[in-house]
Amino acid sequence: MLRLIIALLCLPFCLAAQKSPRDELVQLAAAGNGVIRLDERTFDLLTSPNRDWSAAIQLTALNPQRRCGPCKEFGPSFQAVAKAWSTVIPEQRNNHFFASIDFDDAFQVFKKLGIMSAPVVHVYPATEGPNAKTTRNDPFKYDFSNGFEARPLAEQLSSHTPIPIPYKDPINWARVTSFISLIPIVTLIFRFIRPVLQNRWVWAANTILFSTIMTSGYMFTRIRGTPYVAPDGSWLAAGFQTQYGQEVHVVSLLYGVLAGSFVMLILLVPQQSSPSRQRTQIYIWTALNFIMFSVLVSIFRVKNRGYPFKLMF
Amino acid sequence: MPTAYPLPENVSPATVANTASLLRIIALGLISAAAIASRLFAVINFESIIHEFDPWFNYRATRVLASKGFYEFWNWFDPTAWYPLGRVVGGTIYPGLMTTSGVIYYILHALHLPVDIRNICVLLAPGFSALTAWATYMFTKEMKDDSAGLLAAAFIGIVPGYISRSVAGSYDNEAIAIFLLMFTFFSWIKALKQGSAFFGTIAALFYFYMVAAWGGYVFITNMIPLHALVLLLMGRFTSRLYVAYSSWYAIGTLASMQVPFVGFQPVRTSEHMAALGVFGLLQIVAFAQLVRAHVSSKQFQNLLFVAVVSTGVLGFFAIVGLTYKGWIAPWTGRFYSLWDTGYAKKYIPIIASVSEHQPTAWPSFFMDLHFLIWLFPAGVVMCFRALRDEHIFVIIYAAMASYFAGVMVRLMLALTPVVCVTSAVALSTLLDTYLDPTEPTVNEKAEPVNDPPSTNVPVTPKKAKKLKDKETAATARGALGDVVSSVTSAAGGSTTSPKTTKGIFGLDGRVAVLVNALGLLLFFVVHCTWVTANAYSSPSVVLASTNPDGSQHLIDDFREAYYWLRQNTAEDAVVMSWWDYGYQIAGMANRTTLVDNNTWNNTHIATVGKAMSSPEEVAYPILRKHDVNYVLVIFGGLIGYSGDDMNKFLWMVRISQGVWPDEIQEPNYFNNGEYRVDDRASPTMKECLMYKMTYYRFAQLFGGGQAIDRVRGQHMPANGPTLDYLEEAFTSENWIVRIYEVKKDDVLGRDLKVANAFGEGKKRKRTKPIARRKAIAA
Repeated sequence: MLRLIIALLCLPFCLAAQKSPRDELVQLAAAGNGVIRLDERTFDLLTSPNRDWSAAIQLTALNPQRRCGPCKEFGPSFQAVAKAWSTVIPEQRNNHFFASIDFDDAFQVFKKLGIMSAPVVHVYPATEGPNAKTTRNDPFKYDFSNGFEARPLAEQLSSHTPIPIPYKDPINWARVTSFISLIPIVTLIFRFIRPVLQNRWVWAANTILFSTIMTSGYMFTRIRGTPYVAPDGSWLAAGFQTQYGQEVHVVSLLYGVLAGSFVMLILLVPQQSSPSRQRTQIYIWTALNFIMFSVLVSIFRVKNRGYPFKLMF
Repeated sequence: MPTAYPLPENVSPATVANTASLLRIIALGLISAAAIASRLFAVINFESIIHEFDPWFNYRATRVLASKGFYEFWNWFDPTAWYPLGRVVGGTIYPGLMTTSGVIYYILHALHLPVDIRNICVLLAPGFSALTAWATYMFTKEMKDDSAGLLAAAFIGIVPGYISRSVAGSYDNEAIAIFLLMFTFFSWIKALKQGSAFFGTIAALFYFYMVAAWGGYVFITNMIPLHALVLLLMGRFTSRLYVAYSSWYAIGTLASMQVPFVGFQPVRTSEHMAALGVFGLLQIVAFAQLVRAHVSSKQFQNLLFVAVVSTGVLGFFAIVGLTYKGWIAPWTGRFYSLWDTGYAKKYIPIIASVSEHQPTAWPSFFMDLHFLIWLFPAGVVMCFRALRDEHIFVIIYAAMASYFAGVMVRLMLALTPVVCVTSAVALSTLLDTYLDPTEPTVNEKAEPVNDPPSTNVPVTPKKAKKLKDKETAATARGALGDVVSSVTSAAGGSTTSPKTTKGIFGLDGRVAVLVNALGLLLFFVVHCTWVTANAYSSPSVVLASTNPDGSQHLIDDFREAYYWLRQNTAEDAVVMSWWDYGYQIAGMANRTTLVDNNTWNNTHIATVGKAMSSPEEVAYPILRKHDVNYVLVIFGGLIGYSGDDMNKFLWMVRISQGVWPDEIQEPNYFNNGEYRVDDRASPTMKECLMYKMTYYRFAQLFGGGQAIDRVRGQHMPANGPTLDYLEEAFTSENWIVRIYEVKKDDVLGRDLKVANAFGEGKKRKRTKPIARRKAIAA
């Protein structure tokens, strides 16, 4: 009888001792809202060579002292994807784990993996069991070329998980609300802005602004993400195929002034009734046109070294 | 009426009209001649040769058409492309270009002029540029008058933005497409102005020709509906608009569906839905107009309004729903990437990898359009001043095209015509104002003297040639009267001052403005000539460099290598290369290729990319499975040719990573984020087939000296890579093209690596066979 009681008392301990690594990981994952917060021991547990589960591990440095901006940016995306994974049915969910390891918690792990920068995502495939695709133990490294957003992360990780991650972009309620609230405001003030909307010169100004900005390489700077100025402060990128953000401003301004001088010569100057004032205006606008065009050509000569022509400068 | 300079008195209006018409014809003739002549730099500097990549395919297809006839061409299945898949050429091309050259070829031969098909292909683009100049003249004439038309024709004749795609030898779809674009737009404007179903049909026919010729027809498919929609929103619905649009859409769509490559797309894809939607909207609006004309009840009109609006909304949601259900294909990636500019890089790297799909930096705009790039906003202002229906078209076109040209270098071609048109309108207005001999009276209270505002476009072309405008004061005044009246009538009474107080006093101001304008034009001509001769006339099949003594040296490695292939390999040999060179290999070497510039099968391209970016052991089975006999790589490191395969290599990695993310990973090819090819290159890079083939035996070329890659500016290690599964077959004079033969299986059944090591007498590693032999010996 006593033995039985002792045995009963021991049962929880026995169970604790018997607990498989997988169950421990499942518990940890449930505790961390889908993400296991790793230390050195659990890292070894998770990445043990004989594993019938796979794991996506985020190596990061969230301590403010480390000043890792990208880590802070990427962290929520990883959390969101892990949360999406935790909604999967348990039999599939427990075959793949999301885990995060911080530099300050497990410096040795970073040293062992030879990781010099963060954030990094390693995906350890399963090596045993039905989900094992490869026998190699080395992790797949996530490629950050698509940015830090959650969607590309979920898409790429889905090729390593047993079933695709059911990730959906959260609805941006702030944007939806502001859009909806805009509708009555616009209808309210429509009566007042109607003359503006129906004024051709408002449209003309917008069209001209749009065209000049577009033809001075704005989309290039947007798509390529070029900086506004160079690190050394120069605003003109040397080279025909590239440009900085400030060049858009300068060049579109030049285009605007040049086009404006012609518009003035065509529209404004003939309206003048006084010959002397008209003459002055003609000379001012013509000179402005010529000088600004010379400036434009000289800037172009900086961009294209082989260009043989020049005007004033 | 005081005049600024004396005018001949005794010239009859008939003489003036005749002279103007003669001058106009001469000017157009000279413009055409200039347009053709400036495109011949390529032939004179090099030779009559097809340029670049895509034209080689078009040329090959045209040769089939010319030699075997239209039906053979239509049913052509090409087994030598996309080996082993093959390609149904007839159903996957825009046949307009080849058919055009074929028709010209047959006509010339019917006239017993035995012109070679190659020369027709080479000279087709310059010939059509003359037609483009004429079409632009007609189009601009609708916007303003003849003088603006002539200026626009002169601009588009020599502007580099158009020359870049239409030099002699650039035998591509764009060569004829810009003419078709301009003529379709001209017919549309004409149809809209006159409400003419005849011109609407002409527009539809040319639209059909455009659909048959170039994928860019979608631009027209969306521009015309957009124009119609804007007119509708501005309350400018007229029966003219209804007739023009309905005739264009009905005939044009039915005609365009006859092109096999287009098929049912006009009713099944989102790109074409705008045209269909506007067509439906116009029917509803026209019906409402009709009913309103016959019914007087106020309530009924309200009901009608509600009905019309709800029908429109329902139609819109029907289209959305059908798209959602999959009945209408959503926007294809190629077009979607124009709006969401990051889309292509993420999801379709093969589109993002093409150099002409890159965004445009401002120097390219200036290079291609020179002073027109800043003059065209002024022209847009002039369009806003008049703001007739056709001007709205130009304004929309200008705004849309400037966005598209900013997103993609290649769409500069779509921007160029509208820039020429609007610039010509601006410049011609300036010249009109400052060449006009009438001087205003100083006294502000002078009585209005002028002709009544005429509704027609002025027919008196004053400025066909700036020097030739010694015409009667009457005509000049008439033109001025028209211009001024158009201002006042268009501006809706915002300018109310009497007409005679407007104008230019004296001669010196006129001279200053005109000298400046003339200077700009001269500079433009010099610029265009320079750009054309230096930047846009290279065939890129033959490269030119300059010797130390200034003479020209031609680098002809490509043709050398392709002719080597043609002469020295089996006729059914399969050549693997990156897709850029597929058309050239097919056209010049006449050998089977795995992938080519028709990038329709991403997986197949990724397979080639995988072979190139994997180690030899992995690549060899891929090569053997695809029956590859030769592998061709382009290497510019010796002479500094930057467009070589090592510079394109990352795209091969990216594209194959898209299909095999487990095996190919881009970061592995970098050394700490740096793209290195020297001894600091990453191990994956050093092992991959492309690297090995590129630098095989390269260091030996320098004797004992330091080998340097002149494209990437890196010093190569003295011990270059070795090859086990391939052997060098051919390397061209300047090492630009290197061809490797894929070895057959070893005759003794050994792995080729082992066989090679044995052949070199290397001591074998301690592996199991050795142990067994020892055991036997013992």
